[in-house]
Amino acid sequence: MNKKLTGLSIAIVLNLLLLWTGAAHAQCKLGVPAIKVGVQGAASGPHSDYGRQIEMGSTMAAEEINAAGGILGCKVEIRFMDDENRAATGVRNARLLVTDWGAHFLVGTDSSGVAMAIGPVLAELKRIQFFTHAATHRLTEELVAQKGIREIVRVSVPVYQDAIIAALIFKDRKDVRRWATIGADYEYGYVSWNLFKETLKKYRPDVEFVGEAWAPFLTLDFAPHISAVMAQKPDAIFATPWAGEAVQLLRQALIQGVFDNVQVWWQAMGGSVDVLEGIAGEVQKDRFKGKLWATARYIHNWPDTPENKAFIERFTKRWKRYPNYSAETTYSAFFVMKAAVEKAGSLDTAKVVDALKGMQIRNPGGVRTFRAEDQQFIYNVPAGRPMMDPKYPIPVLGDLKIFQAQDYYRHPPFTPVSIAK
Amino acid sequence: MTTPRASAATVIALVAIVAALFVLPWIAGRYPIYLVMHILILAVFSLGFNLLFGYTGLLSFGQAGFFAVGAYGCAKILLVVPNLVLGIAGGVALAGIAALLLGALSVRHTRIYFSMLTLAFGMVIYSIAWKWRDFTGGDDGLVGIPRAALEIPGLLSISVSAIERYYYVVVVIALVAIFVMHRLVHSPLGLALQAIRDSETRAAFAGLAVRKYRLVAFTIAGVYAGLAGALLPPLENTVTPPIAHWTTSAEPVLATLLGGIHSFAGPIVGSVLFFVIKDVIVRFTEYWLIWFGVIVVALVMGFPEGVMSVFTRRRRSARRQPAGTASQST
Amino acid sequence: MENIVFQGCVGLSLAMYLWLISAGLTIIFGVLRIVNFAHGSLFMVGAYLAYTFYGQIALPFWLAILLSVAGTGVLGLIMERGFLKRIYGVDEAYQLLLTFGFILILDDAVKMIWGGVFKIPPMPEFLDGAWMIVGRPFPIYNVFVIAVGVLVAIVLWFVFEKTWWGRIVRATAADREMASAIGVRVPRVFSGVFVAGAMLAGLGGAIGTPVRVAAPGIGTAMIIQAFIITVIGGLGNLKGAFVSSLIVGVLSAYGTLFFPVFELFFIFIIMVVVLLVRPQGLFAR
Repeated sequence: MNKKLTGLSIAIVLNLLLLWTGAAHAQCKLGVPAIKVGVQGAASGPHSDYGRQIEMGSTMAAEEINAAGGILGCKVEIRFMDDENRAATGVRNARLLVTDWGAHFLVGTDSSGVAMAIGPVLAELKRIQFFTHAATHRLTEELVAQKGIREIVRVSVPVYQDAIIAALIFKDRKDVRRWATIGADYEYGYVSWNLFKETLKKYRPDVEFVGEAWAPFLTLDFAPHISAVMAQKPDAIFATPWAGEAVQLLRQALIQGVFDNVQVWWQAMGGSVDVLEGIAGEVQKDRFKGKLWATARYIHNWPDTPENKAFIERFTKRWKRYPNYSAETTYSAFFVMKAAVEKAGSLDTAKVVDALKGMQIRNPGGVRTFRAEDQQFIYNVPAGRPMMDPKYPIPVLGDLKIFQAQDYYRHPPFTPVSIAK
Repeated sequence: MTTPRASAATVIALVAIVAALFVLPWIAGRYPIYLVMHILILAVFSLGFNLLFGYTGLLSFGQAGFFAVGAYGCAKILLVVPNLVLGIAGGVALAGIAALLLGALSVRHTRIYFSMLTLAFGMVIYSIAWKWRDFTGGDDGLVGIPRAALEIPGLLSISVSAIERYYYVVVVIALVAIFVMHRLVHSPLGLALQAIRDSETRAAFAGLAVRKYRLVAFTIAGVYAGLAGALLPPLENTVTPPIAHWTTSAEPVLATLLGGIHSFAGPIVGSVLFFVIKDVIVRFTEYWLIWFGVIVVALVMGFPEGVMSVFTRRRRSARRQPAGTASQST
Repeated sequence: MENIVFQGCVGLSLAMYLWLISAGLTIIFGVLRIVNFAHGSLFMVGAYLAYTFYGQIALPFWLAILLSVAGTGVLGLIMERGFLKRIYGVDEAYQLLLTFGFILILDDAVKMIWGGVFKIPPMPEFLDGAWMIVGRPFPIYNVFVIAVGVLVAIVLWFVFEKTWWGRIVRATAADREMASAIGVRVPRVFSGVFVAGAMLAGLGGAIGTPVRVAAPGIGTAMIIQAFIITVIGGLGNLKGAFVSSLIVGVLSAYGTLFFPVFELFFIFIIMVVVLLVRPQGLFAR
């Protein structure tokens, strides 16, 4: 071929390429090579599935956002780190992600303890974290409402879900008067039980709280706790151990004949996918005799919207597993972030926080509404009884009791909740 | 362990390192500063540990208990009186007292019983930190601890709330601690401890009050652990119970073994390795535990004397010292 | 009152489980003088293997347990022959460090092989149910654990007191130089004992699967309990480990019944007291 023509065509191609990449760059209206989002969860130890779910949710969200053109034309880049469920590691990772890697936003955190440690550091680093699992009320009631740390935004339902909704459901059960708890022996367990008792007493002054047993983190054997509590002959059990511990607790309770002797067993985070998978065999055989109740921070079979169904389909196709609540909350957090950045037109932390005001956004889990007083996104999650549904290979929560979150979320002014046992 | 007069190369290297430490905030970002502070804190922690282990032959699995006493002590003080000097001094003092008391009980035993006892004491402190919610904040810990100013009423008042400023506090304290430890181990005390380590019976026959010396070593190790712990709350603004757990006690053990228990600089080098290795690994994979484990196993199998042994061996062969000197391991 | 009796029975099954997990640690220390930190990890591997053999491959329960125990034994053999053996001459501390390294490796290895979600197989039919004791349902599973614990105790007693191999092991434990001098193949004994200890850990993990999950990190949770039992009973003292398991198991159960508030503490205080007052353990000869 003619030398000149070859040269010219090469030049044209090169220029087109340059133009294209340059144009792709120029498309990012925020002037950064990419929007960096640091994600943290517990990826080691016995609760490592929750961190993994956070990772899966964030990866899928980033992929979908990028496929649709990014945020204001900017690509989203994520980096996941294991916080080992330890405050020291979580804080260190947060610093690494922001100061070393250049994260614009942070997402995640399973443990309430880690969240409480990261909160004040966010103010120092001037970065927003969208919290997607940690349930402690103190994160928003103390650090946001009282201390004014606006870099904290919560996208998942807090401990109000575990505690208050139970009181609302069972207040009408006249056959349930004697409650006992097998509780997680740390703040989450104490607060849930206290909030539950406080709320229930308002509606039912006749109830009695007859027994309690506290199981530290990583308890393998609940037999003594179960038998200690059953010795008081309760009508109902309020149980807060979660993840693998919930499955162990339920198995060990089954063989002690608990479900022949109580009317209700409330397993706070029993609607979590890993727990439902773990008790699937028993649910199939109706071993819980319809007495097991649970909730979560999102359940895969509700709401029955095309959006949720599509989300489940994409998620199961991508990861071969059902999305846990921490996956949905993390996934939704990314879209919240996207909406806020788009509205603010900037990555500046203060502007993005302002842009959240009044936000209402549609996610797989339903409609989330922002509440400025404590910077939480309020949305409804029902409670129900684990049962099989032919549409799903794993148990779902059925016989759903749906309450409006506005009705059971606590409001400012926040009075302190007793953390005593 | 004898100290030959430091060679010119060693002196230059030391000066260069110290200079680098002081210059770091000017040339590096926040994260490296932050990492170096953690390395220095672990180094102080490990130096104390190794006084007890490498020099005195007592393997303690409960040092995190004193680390926690120092940390919680400093935190409680800072929450009431935001004075950094008071906070750190208070934390150190409390840790020292705790070490003296628990040490008096522990040094009656040796070897595995000593190790188990220290493990138990450490976990008792952990349990107290976890359960005594009213005082320690329970599993939530203490939060909002201020990075208080360096104040001596009438003399000086320096704000260190900027992390770069606090970095210098940590560097200076760590260097002083390292210097003091160096003097200690090369003093008659250091020799006595090594004699006790090498042969308890012989040392006793030579007139050394074995138990007393062990207690001294234990207390100093506790003081160092407390100092390391006290430097933490102003840095992180929180303290939580896991810092008292036996898995935290394992950190100075690992660091020292990585760097070398029979060299003074071993714990320091090991601390650097500990953080750098983990930092590098987590950038590449979420499976950091297995790589860390593989490195530990490889080091134990290949270099049981730790990384520093590579240097000390070379020097020893260069000097053609007779084999079987006191500095050889058992 | 029936509740006290019932709680005592629960305590008994708790105790037998503690015994299962500390027996292996005890014999390894007694003979090799090694504190095997990785004992908890072997327990964890036993649990995972049982999940796979029983839950995934659906072998009969007894066969799954047997294979899990064997598998853990093999792992123990690799650890001892491949690694520990080479550093016997070096300071004890290195052996501790090595076993600690194994914990780190195994915790991630199980995650890589089985994934991070906890695993639990279905409940074996023959264990599902309860016998009435003092008018309350006492799980058959817990009876099973008591039976296994007692059986293991009897077998170990028999092996160590009445067999030729047991005598050799005891001799090696008492004085390894002397034993070697009279012709005992000490390295073989060490391997054998380590493998036996590993198998006991695996048994503890495998027996647990019907009601406990297999998850990364469960070994670390359990190793402390095992240490405490072993120390209280006297390091290397099997009878002591058995009795101290009984004490700790039953006391924990009653603690949960009467003092739900304090737990954690309790067990470490006992350990401290024993170590201070009688460090050889409560049952040392």
